[in-house]
Amino acid sequence: MRPSDKQAENQLGMVMDLNKCIGCHTCTMACKRLWTRGEGMEHMWWNTVNTKPGKGTPRDWEKMGGGFKDGVAQPGHLPTKEEFGEAWEFNSKELFFEGKGAKGKLEIKGEQPDWGPNWDEDQGAGEYPDNYYFYLPRICNHCSDPACLAACPRKAIEKNSDNGIVTINADRCRGYRFCMSACPYKKIYLNHQTGITEKCIFCFPRVEKGVAPACARQCPGRVRFVGYTNDMDAPIGKLIHEWKVALPLHPEYGTSPNVFYVPPLAPALLGKDGKPDESKPRIPNDYLVSLFGPDVLDALETLKGEMAKRKDTGESELMDLLIAYNWKDMFGGFDRDPETIEWVKDSA
Amino acid sequence: MTMKETGVSRRKFLQFSGMGSAALQLPVGLNILTLSESLAAASDNGFAVSTAAYGDWRDIYLERWRWDKVVKSSHFVNCWYQAHCAWNVYVKDGLVWREEQVGTYEATNPDVPDANPRGCQKGACYSEKMYDPSRLKYPLKRVGERGSGRWQRISWDQALAEIAESYVDIMVNEGTDRNILELGPLFTMGTMAVGTGQLSALTDATTLDMNTEIGDGHRGALETFGKIVFERSADDYFHSDLIFIWGGNPVYTQIPNIHFMLEAKYNGATIVVIAPDYSASAIKGDIFARINPGSDAALALGMAHVIINESLYDEAFLIEQTDMPLLVREDNAQFLRSKDLEDGAIEVKSGAFDEFYVIDQHGELAKVPKTSLALGELKPDMKASRQAQLKNGESVQVHTVFTLLQDKVSQYAPDKASAICGTPANQIIDLARLMASAKSACMTTTSNIGKYYHGNLMERAQALVFALCGQYGKKGSGFVAFPFLNLEGASNVVMSSMDPTGQLRKQMAEGAKQLAAAGYTKEMIAYEMTRIQDESGTATQVHGSMFWYTHGGLLETNEKMHEWDPHLNRPVKEVFEQSLKEGWQHVAPKPGDDPRLMISIGSNPLRRIRSYPQLLKHLWPKLRTIVDLDSRLTSTGMMSDYVLPVSAWYERDEVKWVTPLMPYMHGGEKATTYYESKSDWEIMSRLVEAIEKEAKSKGYATFKDRAGRERPFEGIYAVMSGFGKYAHDGDAQLAADIIAHSDNLDGDWEDIKKKGFIPFNGTGDGALSIGTQTEFKKGETITPLTNHVIKKVPYPTLTRRMQFYIDQELYLEFGEQLPTHKDSPKIGGDYPLQITGGHARWSIHSAWRDSRLMLRQQRGEPLIHMNIDDAKKRGIKDGDQVRVFNDMDDFQIMAKVSPAVKPDQTIIYHAWENFQFKDGRGFQNLMPAPLNPVELAGGQFHLRPTNIMASPGHFDRDTRVEVEPVS
Repeated sequence: MRPSDKQAENQLGMVMDLNKCIGCHTCTMACKRLWTRGEGMEHMWWNTVNTKPGKGTPRDWEKMGGGFKDGVAQPGHLPTKEEFGEAWEFNSKELFFEGKGAKGKLEIKGEQPDWGPNWDEDQGAGEYPDNYYFYLPRICNHCSDPACLAACPRKAIEKNSDNGIVTINADRCRGYRFCMSACPYKKIYLNHQTGITEKCIFCFPRVEKGVAPACARQCPGRVRFVGYTNDMDAPIGKLIHEWKVALPLHPEYGTSPNVFYVPPLAPALLGKDGKPDESKPRIPNDYLVSLFGPDVLDALETLKGEMAKRKDTGESELMDLLIAYNWKDMFGGFDRDPETIEWVKDSA
Repeated sequence: MTMKETGVSRRKFLQFSGMGSAALQLPVGLNILTLSESLAAASDNGFAVSTAAYGDWRDIYLERWRWDKVVKSSHFVNCWYQAHCAWNVYVKDGLVWREEQVGTYEATNPDVPDANPRGCQKGACYSEKMYDPSRLKYPLKRVGERGSGRWQRISWDQALAEIAESYVDIMVNEGTDRNILELGPLFTMGTMAVGTGQLSALTDATTLDMNTEIGDGHRGALETFGKIVFERSADDYFHSDLIFIWGGNPVYTQIPNIHFMLEAKYNGATIVVIAPDYSASAIKGDIFARINPGSDAALALGMAHVIINESLYDEAFLIEQTDMPLLVREDNAQFLRSKDLEDGAIEVKSGAFDEFYVIDQHGELAKVPKTSLALGELKPDMKASRQAQLKNGESVQVHTVFTLLQDKVSQYAPDKASAICGTPANQIIDLARLMASAKSACMTTTSNIGKYYHGNLMERAQALVFALCGQYGKKGSGFVAFPFLNLEGASNVVMSSMDPTGQLRKQMAEGAKQLAAAGYTKEMIAYEMTRIQDESGTATQVHGSMFWYTHGGLLETNEKMHEWDPHLNRPVKEVFEQSLKEGWQHVAPKPGDDPRLMISIGSNPLRRIRSYPQLLKHLWPKLRTIVDLDSRLTSTGMMSDYVLPVSAWYERDEVKWVTPLMPYMHGGEKATTYYESKSDWEIMSRLVEAIEKEAKSKGYATFKDRAGRERPFEGIYAVMSGFGKYAHDGDAQLAADIIAHSDNLDGDWEDIKKKGFIPFNGTGDGALSIGTQTEFKKGETITPLTNHVIKKVPYPTLTRRMQFYIDQELYLEFGEQLPTHKDSPKIGGDYPLQITGGHARWSIHSAWRDSRLMLRQQRGEPLIHMNIDDAKKRGIKDGDQVRVFNDMDDFQIMAKVSPAVKPDQTIIYHAWENFQFKDGRGFQNLMPAPLNPVELAGGQFHLRPTNIMASPGHFDRDTRVEVEPVS
């Protein structure tokens, strides 16, 4: 049974341009410092960036099930803390100030890990020099059909009817973790201190004041377009609906995600004769289809066609959108400078 | 717009939403604006009722975002290309809570993208790093052996008194030049520069210029352009239609700038990435050209072969801007000079007044003008050759540089070049044709090439292909070298304290006037002033590389160089001694005068210096006192006698240099304080005061400086304080005055406090910035070298032209007159794997290397990146611990196995601390810091050492190793 046929009239979302993403993780740190700095949250990365192909975060999340198939909820694996990657603590204090000395080693306390949230960075697949990889940043997809919401027996997961943001009501959550298994993107974490689950909140306190989410506003690569996904006056709407170059990740998971990706291009392969071999792309089409669905091929053609047009004629509205001359235009109206907010001290 | 906001509870918020529900019916995209306006209106009307926190779960999140105050700051570390970014520092409960970019840069003009928001992941979590367990709280004194890790907390008074005691004793009894100030990547050119500059000037201490030592000397640029500093603004990429990322990895090292390149690609530019590995930058290219590490000169000369053979070169550009038409004697391989032909030609040792010849349109010898690149009626023939009659009556054959170059590149037909560099021949041809047909081809800066032993040849060859195609001076075009854009205020503030009567400045102005009268350009004068001081033997600033070779035992590691470098026909040590004897290079203190005290100021030599165990073996025992200033404990701090806690970046009033890539001076205001840490300025200020006090208590009235002058101790603190203007905590006043004394900035300290940045309006005339040689015009991107290319201002080289031919004797001895390819020597022994490296994504030098948050996004420890096949052959799996070794030493590290690494290549990224390795054995222990003998050259006009250039480098990229699993 579809849990949420009633979609928010206005749905906030993001478009992430993978051709501009440089895997720098400023988004990751912006989110970390704002939301997941407390105890029990050390291992949480509501925003992740992973090298694809790769196992991602949590490890092999794409094999963990969840989501819907033909409207029917699918069983999912409950990701473990180890699969997400532990928040390693280091022996810094002992090393620096408790007499270990210059022959000591800064190291992870306890058992040495063989996995972490970005363990396979810059590895990718294929064979040198024809190998390939790219970066895939992820947040909660704030799905139109959220599997997490459907799975929660406490009805602790809410989809805001004004803006479509999916949040976990911490007052209701009891930490049953059905949401963690049900989410096919595996973007929900358990807070081991409080015993409740937490995830990306699309920076709702910020967007409610007109400020773009921290991961988007702090992105030095200018990768992320923000706004209502049907706002045809903003780049986000145009990229998704008009140009159709922004696609959801794993649409087959059946949750109607609201984060969309401009698919990645890569350098041409060289033939044996040392000349560019245009007969096949460096990143195999099959692989991109497996991530973004069959529409990705049209999206890539549109992108390449418009790039060629720009090269030849200097014109292309799509290129103008992706260049984003004016940074603030990327945010669909959520472009307020947070510094202008002046808080009133609580009286209590 | 400033609005009063409140921590509205969800319930209250819904009330507002209800009120704004009409707005929600409006066309999408507008509604949230309307909503926030409604909110603002509500606030203004007194609706913003304060509510207790934690009304419900939503407030918990809101509370995490709220702050008490916002302060502008930045990260005063040497991020180099990425410098700098304006940050809002959010303070809550007296601590820095978090930071977020200011994001208020205006676009240069509406046709190029703006620079917002800048920043990187490291900056975005500095607020975490500054409070982590590595942070120093109090002055510490070693109580065990050096490196034992046993510390005692002492007071500032005790620390400074004890350091001053040692310092003064050395000044008086052994020589002022034996006190060493080691300056590193935390150098700001702001208040810190005034502090260290005056400490050095007032006590005649030796300061180390580490630029060439770290491998940033851009030797090839120096040889070709007579300078190393020239760079564009990052938005100038947007005007390029062909962008070469050749040797660098800007996706790691230019995080805030890279969007301009990727946006240029959307604007129609082709991005070419030339690298051994399929790097994080390669994935963003249109073209990936693989190359064997260290063979870039062969690739460039292969391209030159195509460009010349297919007549794709820009002859007019070459004739006007380069030495291609100049004549070289066949008998001695020297340029034909006026002194060869005429009696009475002015002759000075540097050749500054030598004149050079071309063959003119009538087939006659003609002198080329030296005070302008404009040739007037003269039409040199760059392909002719003839006899020249010398003044002694002899006749010699002379050839143009272009003819010699044609001979040289004939050895690099694409298939031959390909056999050396591994780039397919057809791709070499394609790249050459692309470069020649581009409207505007540009290079992105890199500090990688200079870390190869033959990096100078590689860089000269790169500059050559851009010159052959006339790719300079146009918007979005040009090879570039070292980006630097400095504020001159700090040296002016130092000057006004040190030279209150203005006598010295008058003398300097007089000297500059004489040089100008002799035909020197402003740029030449800027470089010449330092050279003159260096050559007088009284300069306090010494090139670090020369210091470490002389006093740090690094020459010892060069004893095997002739086994490793087949071109080396005599011991490097012999060339080193020749260089000192000839006065080509300089060092202080002089050999045999052991250094006695070293203060490492935001530097980290034991992490930085290749073959650092030599320093521990040779230099450390000579040093009686070692002091480290930093906010955290570094590899060097751990081996020091005193560690002094320096304020974190958000805890200072400071201003800092940048680069033309982002031509805004950035600064910051003190947001918070932390235990007993103090700013560099305050520490220097207190140290000078302690030195004066110590001298008085010992009854020393004077000391003798390195020029032999007796100078009084009394009054040095008065000068330090600018005669009372700058108290120990006078950083803000100092920062304000530094800006006020900089004539290339638009704005003041108040603007910095308000906005975080102010624009540069030009390079200024200082030696560190003037090389970019262009005007900064409002509304225009910055393109380097237009003064030369468009205004015809001569280059600061021997021939006053872009110079591809060098006839200094070491260049002739080692066959490097022209750009050529030489195989990368097997440094460290004949082992199959080459260790390359690069600046890291996850650190700025060693800053952030030990950050928890950064390490959690890596693997928590250092990595050697290896190709899958290389690993398989050795029985190594991804994640295994391996032993890396060569003739020098060994160390242990984790292997990361990937198809992205080229076979036979390994990569260890920059700046892991020694203490991140087993037993503290850092990976640079087996890198011998080889000396390339041609870099010991000097004497000739533009090859003489000066600030940041023309001294030898230390190289690591040629290091050969073997790797085996740790059982």
